[in-house]
Amino acid sequence: MAAPVPWACCAVLAAATAVVYAQRHSPQEAPHVQYERLGSDVTLPCGTANWDAAVTWRVNGTDLAPDLLNGSQLVLHGLELGHSGLYACFHRDSWHLRHQVLLHVGLPPREPVLSCRSNTYPKGFYCSWHLPTPTYIPNTFNVTVLHGSKIMVCEKDPALKNRCHIRYMHLFSTIKYKVSISVSNALGHNATAITFDEFTIVKPDPPENVVARPVPNNPRRLEVTWQTPSTWPDPESFPLKFFLRYRPLILDQWQHVELSDGTAHTITDAYAGKEYIIQVAAKDNEIGTWSDWSVAAHATPWTEEPRHLTTEAQAPETTTSTTSSLAPPPTTKICDPGELGSGGGTLTPFSIGVPVTLALAAAAATANSLLI
Amino acid sequence: MDLRAGDSWGMLACLCAVLWHLPAVPALNRTGDPGPGPSIQKTYDLTRYLEHQLRSLAGTYLNYLGPPFNEPDFNPPRLGAETLPRATVNLDVWRSLNDKLRLTQNYEAYSHLLCYLRGLDRQAATAELRRSLAHFCTSLQGLLGSIAGVMAALGYPLPQPLPGTEPTRAPGPAHSDFLQKMDDFWLLKELQTWLWRSAKDFNRLKKKTQPPPAAVTLHLEAHGF
Repeated sequence: MAAPVPWACCAVLAAATAVVYAQRHSPQEAPHVQYERLGSDVTLPCGTANWDAAVTWRVNGTDLAPDLLNGSQLVLHGLELGHSGLYACFHRDSWHLRHQVLLHVGLPPREPVLSCRSNTYPKGFYCSWHLPTPTYIPNTFNVTVLHGSKIMVCEKDPALKNRCHIRYMHLFSTIKYKVSISVSNALGHNATAITFDEFTIVKPDPPENVVARPVPNNPRRLEVTWQTPSTWPDPESFPLKFFLRYRPLILDQWQHVELSDGTAHTITDAYAGKEYIIQVAAKDNEIGTWSDWSVAAHATPWTEEPRHLTTEAQAPETTTSTTSSLAPPPTTKICDPGELGSGGGTLTPFSIGVPVTLALAAAAATANSLLI
Repeated sequence: MDLRAGDSWGMLACLCAVLWHLPAVPALNRTGDPGPGPSIQKTYDLTRYLEHQLRSLAGTYLNYLGPPFNEPDFNPPRLGAETLPRATVNLDVWRSLNDKLRLTQNYEAYSHLLCYLRGLDRQAATAELRRSLAHFCTSLQGLLGSIAGVMAALGYPLPQPLPGTEPTRAPGPAHSDFLQKMDDFWLLKELQTWLWRSAKDFNRLKKKTQPPPAAVTLHLEAHGF
């Protein structure tokens, strides 16, 4: 008699466990996805449960306090970004999962910022856009390009997701282009458009490979060379003109030169011995606007090697490693004091640094001799 | 010149006929012939000068026409003004134009445009505006002469007008005041676009006919651009 009872007991227990297990882990339908606006209030019902059903809510696996409940519904006030997550409600006693909500807190989109530019004239132009403030939820953008009444294709950029490219079919058009963009997400929608003439959006990329070199035996010259931007497709028929600016690092005032042709220029009024910063910009000869400034090139004009030094003046040479960090450009050699007065053909309006260097050299020499 | 209503169209047709039969300006002094290079450069410079002049002229004229013509984002559909020479051209076609065709298209375009411009002399326009227009027409006449010079230097014949294609402002059915203003708007727009196109056309011609230039000076600076 004793044997069947434990058997039955085990069987029932096993079955109950199986049911509970099944109920707890049965494949639920996918969580309901819900988007709500930042700052708003939301009430999440527990699926089809009655208002007075006894349920427990959890967010991302963590229990929620019962004071947030209104019956079986979860009430959240003043939604913040941190409220985003997976909300689940369970039957309080059986822990049966009744409902799941994947909540995303975000904002409807503001008016997008759209701009178009042609850096590959006459091949085509591109438009790029962005939202002035984030929405925190996914957005979809839709761009349309109209030339008069004709719709043009805007091909998505392979790398950047907020850019697309349009190819010119016709040049020298009097009809404006109109580019419209609409953005929408689960919480709202917005749009904007811009209209422009073919010529007004032309803006090349900056010149490339700007190199500045000193000119041997010319202490006031610097030779600057650069290349037309590689994105400009046809410099022969659509030549570029260039704008060069330069200044010594220690001054704020730029010097400017405009060049209507060629990709080289020699600066002839550089201050001797001073390090210069040089930049170049490009523009189509007739239309559009100037490019951004190129990457800066640095150079210092050629300076004369010091003449044969006496043993006295030679001592500083062994300690140049300690003084060079304080001296201005590395190519400035510590001169024989006798040379300063004659000038040696160099103009040094900024001679403040030199006496300091000499004093340091003297001090270093003394220190050196002490070490020996 | 005192234009009475009935005479004005006849006068205009006469003027246009005169223009079309303009003899080619003798191009260059052939001694030590530097080739067409300098006159191509001169023509290019003229297009830049005209474009600069047109900017202020168009601004004044559009203000005279009043809104919406003087609004910056005014973007009407291109209706009417069908006889205006259009600068717009397919990119590949433009690239492959031979020199003769390139020059001919420019010459014909400006001949037409000059004709229309002369007809722009409205009675209501201010004396100031009429003066600016007249000055511009003279400059445009100079450009035509310059292009003719280049064509002659390269040995191309000047285009002769086909009978019946002389551009006239058709006095036709009641062309309302607004439509007239639209025509004026498109004329100025097309003129501006042609001047931009010509600069590119002459750039292309420059590169093809000139030997590689030595140091090029900042000649454009003198015009205050």
